Amino acid sequence: MAGFKISRRRVLAGSAFLLASTALPSIGWTQAKKGGRLVVAADSEPRNLNPAIVASNGVFFVASKVVEPLAEASFDGEGGLEPRLATSWEGSEDGLTVTFKLREGVTWHDGKPFTSADVAFSALNVWKPLQNLGRVVFKNLEAVETPDEHTAVFKFSKPTPLQLIKNALPALTSVVPKHVYEGKDIAENPANNAPVGTGPFKFAEHKPGEYYRLERNDKYWGESEPQLDEIIYRVLPDRAAAAGALEAEEIQLAAFSAVPLADLERISKVPGIRVITEGYEALTYQLVVEINHRRKELADLKVRQAIAHAIDKDFVVKTIFLGYAKPATGIVPQNDKQFYTPDVATYGFDVAKANALLDEAGYPKKDDGKRFALKLLPAPYFNETKQFGDYLRQALAAVGIDAELVNNDSAAHQKAVYTDHAFDIAIAPPVFRGDPAISTTILVQSGIPDGVPFSNQGGYKNDALDALIAKAAETLDPAARIELYKEFQKKVAADLPLINVAEWGFITVARDTVKNVSNNPRWAVSNWADTYVET
Amino acid sequence: MSLRRLFRSPEAVAGFVILGLLGAMALTAPLLFPGDPLAIAGQPLLRPFQDWALPLGTDRLGRDVLAGLFHGARTSLAVGLAAAAASILVGSVVGTVAGFAGGLVDEVLMRITDAFQTVPGFLLSLALVSVVGPSLSVVVAAIALSAWTGPARIARAEVLSIRERDYVASARVIGMHPIEIAFREVLPNALPPVLALSSVIVAAAILTEAALSFLGLGDPNRVTWGGMIAEGRAVLRSAPFLSVIPGIALVFSVLGVYLAGEGVVESTAAREGQA
Amino acid sequence: MNRALRLLRRRLIGSIPVLLIVIVGSFLLLEAAPGDAVDAYVASVGGDAGMIEALRQSWGLDASPMTRLAAYLWALLHLDLGHSVAFSRPVLDVVLERLPNTLLLMGAATALSFALGTALGILAGARPGSARDRLLSIGSLALYAVPGFWLALVLTIVFSVELRWLPLSGMETIASGKTGFARALDIARHMVLPVTSLGLIYLALYLRMMRAGMAEVWRMDFTLAARARGIGRRRIVLRHVARNALLPLVTMLGLQSAQMLGGSVVIESVFSVPGLGRLAQEAVGSRDTPLLIGIILVSAVLVIVINLLVDIAYAALDPRVGANEANA
Repeated sequence: MAGFKISRRRVLAGSAFLLASTALPSIGWTQAKKGGRLVVAADSEPRNLNPAIVASNGVFFVASKVVEPLAEASFDGEGGLEPRLATSWEGSEDGLTVTFKLREGVTWHDGKPFTSADVAFSALNVWKPLQNLGRVVFKNLEAVETPDEHTAVFKFSKPTPLQLIKNALPALTSVVPKHVYEGKDIAENPANNAPVGTGPFKFAEHKPGEYYRLERNDKYWGESEPQLDEIIYRVLPDRAAAAGALEAEEIQLAAFSAVPLADLERISKVPGIRVITEGYEALTYQLVVEINHRRKELADLKVRQAIAHAIDKDFVVKTIFLGYAKPATGIVPQNDKQFYTPDVATYGFDVAKANALLDEAGYPKKDDGKRFALKLLPAPYFNETKQFGDYLRQALAAVGIDAELVNNDSAAHQKAVYTDHAFDIAIAPPVFRGDPAISTTILVQSGIPDGVPFSNQGGYKNDALDALIAKAAETLDPAARIELYKEFQKKVAADLPLINVAEWGFITVARDTVKNVSNNPRWAVSNWADTYVET
Repeated sequence: MSLRRLFRSPEAVAGFVILGLLGAMALTAPLLFPGDPLAIAGQPLLRPFQDWALPLGTDRLGRDVLAGLFHGARTSLAVGLAAAAASILVGSVVGTVAGFAGGLVDEVLMRITDAFQTVPGFLLSLALVSVVGPSLSVVVAAIALSAWTGPARIARAEVLSIRERDYVASARVIGMHPIEIAFREVLPNALPPVLALSSVIVAAAILTEAALSFLGLGDPNRVTWGGMIAEGRAVLRSAPFLSVIPGIALVFSVLGVYLAGEGVVESTAAREGQA
Repeated sequence: MNRALRLLRRRLIGSIPVLLIVIVGSFLLLEAAPGDAVDAYVASVGGDAGMIEALRQSWGLDASPMTRLAAYLWALLHLDLGHSVAFSRPVLDVVLERLPNTLLLMGAATALSFALGTALGILAGARPGSARDRLLSIGSLALYAVPGFWLALVLTIVFSVELRWLPLSGMETIASGKTGFARALDIARHMVLPVTSLGLIYLALYLRMMRAGMAEVWRMDFTLAARARGIGRRRIVLRHVARNALLPLVTMLGLQSAQMLGGSVVIESVFSVPGLGRLAQEAVGSRDTPLLIGIILVSAVLVIVINLLVDIAYAALDPRVGANEANA
């Protein structure tokens, strides 16, 4: 009943956004709405606010309004992209060069002009050597030529698929000013905490523990943008704080599910507040059971299949995510339009089959009803990963596997799982970033050094799969590349190096007065140039 | 005689009744609710008094709140008693040694005690649990770590006054080993005032465990009331019973421990006053 | 006053070993923790092996623990609290930024619980055993038994969300541009709920101590003499009984300061007050050893200073107390 109500609200809200975004270009209409201060909830204060170095959603949430990428994700743009600092991109036949035409008439917040030199500097000195994701995607980038001020030509030493580069544009290509960073220690530059960019908002101040404040950039290149005068990020570290703050009108918007899922049904009925599920389509998080294949029992495919059969994905989606998620079928999420295939081995919820598989594998129930014991480490980053830990312990108990939960904080979890491999099964929330090569294939690829988070640290090694990953990384033809990744998904689902349980986007809760919310697939981490507060 | 005095105060009676109930819940939990209280028992977020199989309803995952309450009494009591026992043990040993040995040993032990009292106790527990990882024994150790200083100081003060008394002197004369004197003659006599602290420590331990659980530092394999409150917090507005029920249990237990403890202290004080 | 100065000097010298124990203890604690500052950072942003190694080098975490402890102590000798790795700023700056907020919260909460607790304690102790006494004693105990975070959450829902009388969180209205009196008033409004939540918990301590102290004074000779002389009950309560029962409360004030700093962790978290307690929690989470030691050191100094002030006040109030005993 209530669920129906919410979903109807959602549909109505969604269509309202579409109308709003198509209506926007009429200038007279937008000018009347200019101005306003938007106050949003932030749950953390990143150590480094430079999105060119730290490509993470926590950083983007604040910094993407200040520092822009070459292109942004879009619901209806060509290839799912909308130009930002680049206006066009073109790859060569041999996959060794990509040419970007850059936007003209753009200035940095300090008044200096934006040129191709800035892009070349960002790519070669920041993305490739320093960025958490860029170190992988741009590893073969050799040089960036700048024939004129508004053209940047990327030269790769090995063929690099344009498809991958395009998919990487929104998250990996934040451009920082060369004149601010050049000749200094980039990693410790003070601008990392007070970023200078070309975006619609300028970084104004940060009061640690209290707030960030961004101011309108009057010289922004976007016509009649930005709409807001000011954005303020209130630091609310307590998980329960955002809902109250929204109701008390101390904040107007809480993104990234800052309002707990369990509170959404109630808050959706509060007048003046709406719950929005759109705007996270390109930021899909995956709920994954990581498996340590060094454990003799878990090295057995039958045991892994049994675990997969023991998990009731529908229960997880319905109870832990309260419907705000989808059961996963494989390692690529269903909402990905390019690569996803449903045509893989599936593991329905079937306790009897799980028990039979475990018996077959040679681990019969002992007198106390238990087969063997496991150490289960849920990642501490989300309520849902911890709750799923509680559930998984029970689900495993039902098939005779005695799992002991070990709750660690992030540092200890990182060390235990990804460096020391001191786990049997772990629960992780990796992100799918639009292309399997960015942060998905490393979940199952072998030969990754110890200590790398969200990568295969379970000791899994499958030569055929490794070869497939390597081949796809160099395949230029988009269709052929997609086929290879479909093959990849099938192999992963068949051999279960890890178990994909569910995939979810976050929820935004906003007051009705905030307009143009969630109008692109990475909305929370996009530039909010057209957002405004109706007064 | 002293029992009658003890039960003359209605507060003390209330305290003992609560403690009795708590003890009964803890003892009967495995009989009334066999199996894992964390197991999923029914439809999630069932309100209280809807289904007589689950009279107090269920939490977000469909776990039985009543079973949690009973098993939680076990853990809360265990945490409280274990932490109090540990801190009184450590504290009275340190205090006795310091008071009895005197000199440099006393100086060193008391500086360490100072150091522990200077650091906010909860901060210490918080740091220890987040560093070692939350399990019941670590939580107990963390609470004891911040609570042993009170018993240590009182034990030392008592020992200082007792060591000069006649029977200690005579023990010395008959050639008892100093360590034997300290732990056989002095400590037992220094203990009663230290034990008077135990109700305060038990109560503080139960509350500290709850606060740690609130910050996500409880043992995930056990039900505790603190953990239940913390879980229910996300739905405080839509399903308040989830945090109110264990909250009330917590308040009553702490109150019961206090009142009972106070009753005991007062009745012994009155007896001494009479003697 | 000379005595106070002597006491001060003795105390400062006496606290050096205490502080040293605190420093080494906290260092070893974080050193024994699984995962270091780089692990904490990488867990939030991701990264590859080369980046992790480079970070460890640039944050100085590749040296052995003993080398780092020695370097830290050496720097501390020069009054340098070091560099916070999580904030990439000097520890002293980060700590001093938050200290006033915590002092304000703790000071106001202490004042509240002390004043209200004493007053109610007098009311309760004036007629020991009366219904009023029982009600106050049990009521305050019940408040003490309520978990602080729970009280805080309920207060916010009632007064901030439903009634909207008071702001929900933070220290002051953000970027309001208020100055002077208007700003002070704004901060005061924001502090009402956190101070109440923190202060009400400790109310019971003062109430019960006052009441217990009064019960004893009632039995003393001079009180009996005053009663025999026919002095009014109200006057006896205020002039003789309460005044004499007040002294131990002052000592309690000192002892309680460390506890309250701990209690403020949770309250600061619920009300988003940028204070030391929350900072300490963040420092543990990000394995920021210099920052955590800095916070513990600053709060230890704070506790020592408060206790010193209490002792001085005590010595001034009660001439019987010698400076020698005050250290026991």
